Amino acid sequence: MWTIGRFPALWVLPVILPVAVLTIYPIGYALWTSLHQVMLLFPGEDWVGLDNYKAVVTGEYFGAALKNSLVFTLFSAPLVVLIGTATAMFLYRDFFGVTALRSIILLPWVLPGAISAVLWTWVFHPSWGVINSTLFKLGLIDHSIPWLSDPTLAFVSITVAHVWTQVPFTVVLVMAALSAINPETIEAAVVDGARPFQRFALVIFPQIKAIIVLLLVYNALIAFTSYDLVYAMTGGGPGTATTLLSFQIWKESFSMYDFGAGSAVAFIVVAISAVLIVAITWAIPSDIFGEDEPADAKA
Amino acid sequence: MKVHRLLAATVLVGGLAAAPASAQDITLEFTVWNYSLDTIQDNAKKFEAENPGIKVKITDYTWPDYHDAMVLRFRGGTPTDVAYVGQDWLPAWAAAGFLAPLDDVAPADVLSALKADMAPFALSDETYDGKIYGLPYYADTISFLYNKKILESAGIAVPQTWDDVMAAALKLKEGGMEHPIDYEFNQELPNFWDAFVAQAYGRGGDLFDADKKAIFDNPDNPAYKQLEWLAEAFKKDLVQQDTHESKIIPSMNTGKHAFTVVYNYVLAAMNNAAEQPMAGDFALALMPGAAHQTLGFTKFYAITASAAADPARAAAAWKFVNFMAGKPYTVAQRWAEEKGLGFGQVPLFNDPAVVASWNKWIDMTTLKEQVATARGGTWTEWTSVWSAYFRPLLAKAMVGEATVDETMKAGAAKWNEYREKMMKK
Repeated sequence: MWTIGRFPALWVLPVILPVAVLTIYPIGYALWTSLHQVMLLFPGEDWVGLDNYKAVVTGEYFGAALKNSLVFTLFSAPLVVLIGTATAMFLYRDFFGVTALRSIILLPWVLPGAISAVLWTWVFHPSWGVINSTLFKLGLIDHSIPWLSDPTLAFVSITVAHVWTQVPFTVVLVMAALSAINPETIEAAVVDGARPFQRFALVIFPQIKAIIVLLLVYNALIAFTSYDLVYAMTGGGPGTATTLLSFQIWKESFSMYDFGAGSAVAFIVVAISAVLIVAITWAIPSDIFGEDEPADAKA
Repeated sequence: MKVHRLLAATVLVGGLAAAPASAQDITLEFTVWNYSLDTIQDNAKKFEAENPGIKVKITDYTWPDYHDAMVLRFRGGTPTDVAYVGQDWLPAWAAAGFLAPLDDVAPADVLSALKADMAPFALSDETYDGKIYGLPYYADTISFLYNKKILESAGIAVPQTWDDVMAAALKLKEGGMEHPIDYEFNQELPNFWDAFVAQAYGRGGDLFDADKKAIFDNPDNPAYKQLEWLAEAFKKDLVQQDTHESKIIPSMNTGKHAFTVVYNYVLAAMNNAAEQPMAGDFALALMPGAAHQTLGFTKFYAITASAAADPARAAAAWKFVNFMAGKPYTVAQRWAEEKGLGFGQVPLFNDPAVVASWNKWIDMTTLKEQVATARGGTWTEWTSVWSAYFRPLLAKAMVGEATVDETMKAGAAKWNEYREKMMKK
């Protein structure tokens, strides 16, 4: 007799096939590439084992790129979540013009990274950028600040631009989480005399902490793999001041034409990202995604 | 009867469809980057009208994608007959067997006459291993530009040496100009290296010896001295950095900067009265330094090795290249007059239409003098890869994050390492 339970592998094939073609094959090919010498302009793709990994790790830019990526992630991921949550709390209130404001605040989300980078390059321009012009007019500076050419300031500038592009997504998700909260619990807290911060810490946060942790993991990964903003704003410079590991993947592959080395960097980024995810999920309390129901619970 | 007619018609139509096109009908696959695509298409149409039986199919890419797309086309065997090629890509592409020398497809006397008309740097840029691989689509120099009004009002003469530039910049800074020099500072752009070479050429001398070994790590080398000069200028806070030439144009038009080093077409944009408030204030000077030389570069039409392997296709491709860049230089003249693009065909300097058009934004006498002394770069199979490695080091040295000596030593060592590696291959 024919049942849907027969040939289970056949039924999942329509899902497995696209996944295999679009994910497993490229990853497998990238792994193969990282273990071979693949330089576009020269024939032959010789097996080199872990030589590409060794060359990349001992290369002159790897240490700086790794450090920059970790610091960039460490600062930008919490900042995005912090600012995003605060913005969501503000926009969740009901006041005149809030609908328009909610739409405007989402704008950075719909802009492609390269466009955002161009926009921020103009904002940070030393001669006629908005920031320096404003500071000049207010009499706060008498020399232009080299936002994108001073190594430290360039790093701060790309962090600011990155946070700006990522905050809207956090706002959307936190607002969604806020809308799931039973308003009566907040009203009860108000009746009990809880101050705003107490209401947030004791009533609201426990109910949105799962999404906050998810956003933290998500933003850590986005920051660690960020590429387009840096490429367009600073080109990784000056020197290696803003060179990130993901940028190094592009550079090895398309600037140095060494796809083997580029793939090796890509796999190193994947490995570090995996460690980051595990570290963050280990660091959070085990009950974050909801407590287990007691054994004697009734339906 | 009707059935017979139908069958006859079917056979006739089928026969026509199956018949090969005329033996003379050739469609050339022509790849370009998409600058002024409508002009390219119009030129191709004119060629088709003059050459019945030859069609041109144009495939365009954006400039940033062009190199990678072409390498993938060549490696993937995508049919390509004629292509835009950059001087910096020629050695690697020719060595890889992607391109064919024009000597293999063009009549020797015609080619010889065309070579005689070419600016020396253009000829050098198109030559690999003693053979010429293309005819110029666009050739230009990297030039030293200044603001005439600022210098006149400050009583400063046009600088002749880099010491003059430093003295002028210091004087302007004392007079209240925060950053007299506007510098295109983007270590990911190949022209970051090109502009540096152009400045070193101004001083004279070579960065590489006859065997193409790097010698710029010698403290007496002009490149070494120029990097010291740049580091000092940055240290004295005389330089404003702009990440792209498109930002140099409005920056110079703020009147806050007096000097810059960029391509000539940037001068055309800076002096464009329709768009810029200080248009007309900017002028070209010979590159400062004892030699006043600069770097010239050439983008050219080249014929692929696959096209050259087929005699009929090779003949058609040569006809097309000769139409686009050969005598009487109609297409090159059009690019120069309509778009302000530089040219490698020296006779165009005396073309009345070009002179009239260019005189609006550049001093043709100075330009002619600069082009006559312009030199090609040292383009090898490994130059672009090495340049990608060295440019961040150069950037660090300029802003004082590394010493000039360690930068030049590291750069020279890596160049020589690549050289050895490539020689073995």
